[in-house]
Amino acid sequence: MKDLSFSLRDLICGVLFIFIGLFFAIQAYGLELGTALRMGPGYFPFVLAGTLILLGIIVIIQGTQLQHEPMGPIAWRGLLFILPAPILFGLTVRGLGFVPSLFLTGLVAAFASTKMRPGTALLLVGGLTLFSVIVFSYALGLPFRRFGPWLGQ
Amino acid sequence: MDLLNNLVLGFATAASPYNLLFCFIGVILGTLIGVLPGIGATATIAMLLPITFQLEPVSSLIMLAGIYYGAQYGGSTTAILINMPGESSSAVTAIDGYQMARKGRAGAALSIAAIGSFFAGTVSTILVAVFAPPLTAVALRFGSPEYFSLMIVGLVSSVALAHGSVVKALGMVVLGLLLGLVGTDIYTGTPRFNLGILELSDGLNFVALAVGVFGIAEILRNLENEHDRDVMIKKVTNLWPTRQDWKEMTAPILRGTVIGSALGILPGGGAILASFASYTVEKRISKTPGEFGKGAVAGVAGPESANNAGAQTSFIPMLTLGIPANPVMALMIGAMIIQGIVPGPNVATEQPALFWGIIASMWIGNLMLILLNLPLIGLWVKLLTIPYYMLFPAIIAFCSIGVYSVNSNVFDLYAVAFFGLIGYGLAKLRCEPAPLLLGFVLGPLLEEHLRRAMIMSRGDPMTFLNRPISLGLLLLAAAVLVVVLLPSIRKKRDEVFVED
Amino acid sequence: MLKLFTSLATTAAIALISGSAFAQGYPERSITMVVPFAAGGPTDTVTRLVAESMSKDLGQQIIVENVGGAGGTLGASQVAKAEPDGYTLLLHHIGMATSATLYRKLPYDTLNAFEYVGLVTDVPMTIVAKKDFEPTDLKGLVEYVKANADKITLANAGIGAASHLCGMLFMSEIKTPLTTVPYKGTGPAMTDLLGGQVDLMCDQTTNTTKQIKGGTIKAYGVTSAKRLDALPDLPTVAEAGLPGMQVGIWHGIYAPKGTPAEVTQKLSASLQKALKDPNVVARFAELGTVPSTDAEATPAGLKSKLESEVTRWKPVIEAAGQYAD
Repeated sequence: MKDLSFSLRDLICGVLFIFIGLFFAIQAYGLELGTALRMGPGYFPFVLAGTLILLGIIVIIQGTQLQHEPMGPIAWRGLLFILPAPILFGLTVRGLGFVPSLFLTGLVAAFASTKMRPGTALLLVGGLTLFSVIVFSYALGLPFRRFGPWLGQ
Repeated sequence: MDLLNNLVLGFATAASPYNLLFCFIGVILGTLIGVLPGIGATATIAMLLPITFQLEPVSSLIMLAGIYYGAQYGGSTTAILINMPGESSSAVTAIDGYQMARKGRAGAALSIAAIGSFFAGTVSTILVAVFAPPLTAVALRFGSPEYFSLMIVGLVSSVALAHGSVVKALGMVVLGLLLGLVGTDIYTGTPRFNLGILELSDGLNFVALAVGVFGIAEILRNLENEHDRDVMIKKVTNLWPTRQDWKEMTAPILRGTVIGSALGILPGGGAILASFASYTVEKRISKTPGEFGKGAVAGVAGPESANNAGAQTSFIPMLTLGIPANPVMALMIGAMIIQGIVPGPNVATEQPALFWGIIASMWIGNLMLILLNLPLIGLWVKLLTIPYYMLFPAIIAFCSIGVYSVNSNVFDLYAVAFFGLIGYGLAKLRCEPAPLLLGFVLGPLLEEHLRRAMIMSRGDPMTFLNRPISLGLLLLAAAVLVVVLLPSIRKKRDEVFVED
Repeated sequence: MLKLFTSLATTAAIALISGSAFAQGYPERSITMVVPFAAGGPTDTVTRLVAESMSKDLGQQIIVENVGGAGGTLGASQVAKAEPDGYTLLLHHIGMATSATLYRKLPYDTLNAFEYVGLVTDVPMTIVAKKDFEPTDLKGLVEYVKANADKITLANAGIGAASHLCGMLFMSEIKTPLTTVPYKGTGPAMTDLLGGQVDLMCDQTTNTTKQIKGGTIKAYGVTSAKRLDALPDLPTVAEAGLPGMQVGIWHGIYAPKGTPAEVTQKLSASLQKALKDPNVVARFAELGTVPSTDAEATPAGLKSKLESEVTRWKPVIEAAGQYAD
């Protein structure tokens, strides 16, 4: 007989479902619900949010019945470098221009890996930038400025 | 005999050296851009559309059609190699295709996808040529009640996408449905769930969501413990399908072609369901459903054929009515208008060379693609031998460019990062992204058709049962529900049994 | 004192010279023209046709950039915030005027955030119905609709779309509210009209001309002042007895506030040339529309159009009581 223990993973998952469900339910409740015959903007999402909360509860209950495996490590370094990279591109592509912006983006992303050495990174990202400029800017003619106004152009 | 004459005209047009050249350029451009991660067919066409404006009308449309198929082939390639679908349809391919790749069977997965797509493309091109007008008439009988019932069939089937917990998969579908509703309610103009952000008033960007929950999340998972295991994949064994693969893929390809051709005709959401529907069917009738999600051949062959067949038949409403069945078709119509051809019911009679030329070029384009792609498979597979830590910065860079280029909007890139985080979290919780994407695509359609059906019937829910097509679909949904639930209940008992 | 005067005069002279020198040299590099809608749509088509022709005249490439979203307001606000140097322009349609009322929290002030280049074109609308709809002419349609108001459905392509504006105007003209059925874009709405799932729609000729010619839908009137060359048998709304329905989806080119007048004048002159380019005229005709006249394709022409249209649509939208934010 197993202990009646919660699987941490399922507990988090269930709580997450319930939390998201509540968020949508509260938001939807603030909208006009309408009736089943003439539904308002809040009706359908409200029903869905309720369903999600219910499913969250079931996930937690099920988590008590099955054996659970460990969650495994979390890619902190990856999160730290990977997630800001696309944002950096979006924020700088207009100002700095396509070339420097893409170079920075690639460089930041490259350091998400512990295996990456600075020299390799520069070389790799330089090549990547060159390739992208040829393909996107010259061959496809995407409307990006190659060097932007922040560089005094 | 008319048909024969028309086809002769079509092939004469499409096979002129000039048009062949542009068809070739189109499929190459499409493949190249489609194979860059995070960019699917819609984004590719949107990016490349301006290039075609300088050409002759027929050539430019042939080239665009080539880009479209090329991008789809290319899109499946990234789905299989790095788990990064650019369209909802290749999200399904990613499930088993990527697992095949991890087992060192990337080459086989790619060739199965290519062969399935080519076969489906050939069959559906014939369908388009022979049956375009009558099929259009059928498609027009689909009103909102029918679409609603069709979406219900799709939702009920979506559980088959799960290879873990059914409840979690349902949760992901519902979460996807909710995310799909973010934006503006089209019936009242009321903004919903947009947290006061103007950029969200048209809803979340599909590509940003897909790139985030599939691609970025996968990269993060691979970075988890770099030192303990080699991130990428076992040694590549053989490039081509084995005899066993051929046996396993034939029937799924045939079924996928039928499913895709049928659903592709419906403007407004039919083609979206094609690859999902095919996957469901294959998993349900398979003798080894446990293989699905772990690299099943049928899980690649069926959906890829369905997806390509649907892509071809979705030309039917556009060619016969001038109505776009999906965003790509809307772009094609825009291109036609710029070229001075206003698509509508008369294009076939007023511009027969154009009409039949496009149809003929569909097949030629597919032929070129398979000839181009089979030799390229070796090259793609070689890409996997590049150490992962050198590959992913490029993936991130291309995703950023691709997502940004569609709307020139920074917000879409915030969304990529946000959904990368969410996707990683969900992956850690053993929640799968494919049902989420299906829900995301279906959410707005489901609500839209439900509410429209109720408006038009003046609030009478019997409208879903009074209309024969709708009733048929609902009965089908009920049947699927029974079929889906029975084995999953049985499976649950198996699981419990194993663990005790 | 004299010194001060000379230095002031010099400064003024330099400013004047450099101002005109700036306009003389303009454009020195490529110009970005923002379309606040997705590539491939009708507005995008208009923009690309005009931009191509203007590029030839100005000797610099005009790059068309699609900044879609939120009914065109995202693209407009981006241009409103851009450098007023003449290198960022906006081509927007009637939505520029209607969004002033439809959106209560616009990030820019519609009437004060832009300089004007000129009107480009005015695309007429057509009142259309499903193929087997009973009435045969516009008068009959109005009577029929009034008598059967509770049974008739009126399609539109979403809040703020051309078809939505025209539909609101139709209902306010005939003083009869109908059941409106919104769709996500013109495509699905047209599909349902062709399939007879919905009864009526009022949409741009860009979308309807081919269907009308093909006989797949029934047309009752065109909202332009004159009959269209593409549809010579279709009466105008004024001929058919609804003069208040005269409405068009007009397109204009804008620049950020503070762009020098020399620049907008130069652009306006180039626009006027582009609108006489035979290729542009021919393509516009296929879309069922005509280029603006020289008087309209001026900063003053666009300014007065925008101002009068903001005033015209305010009460119509407020009466409908639907907002986009």
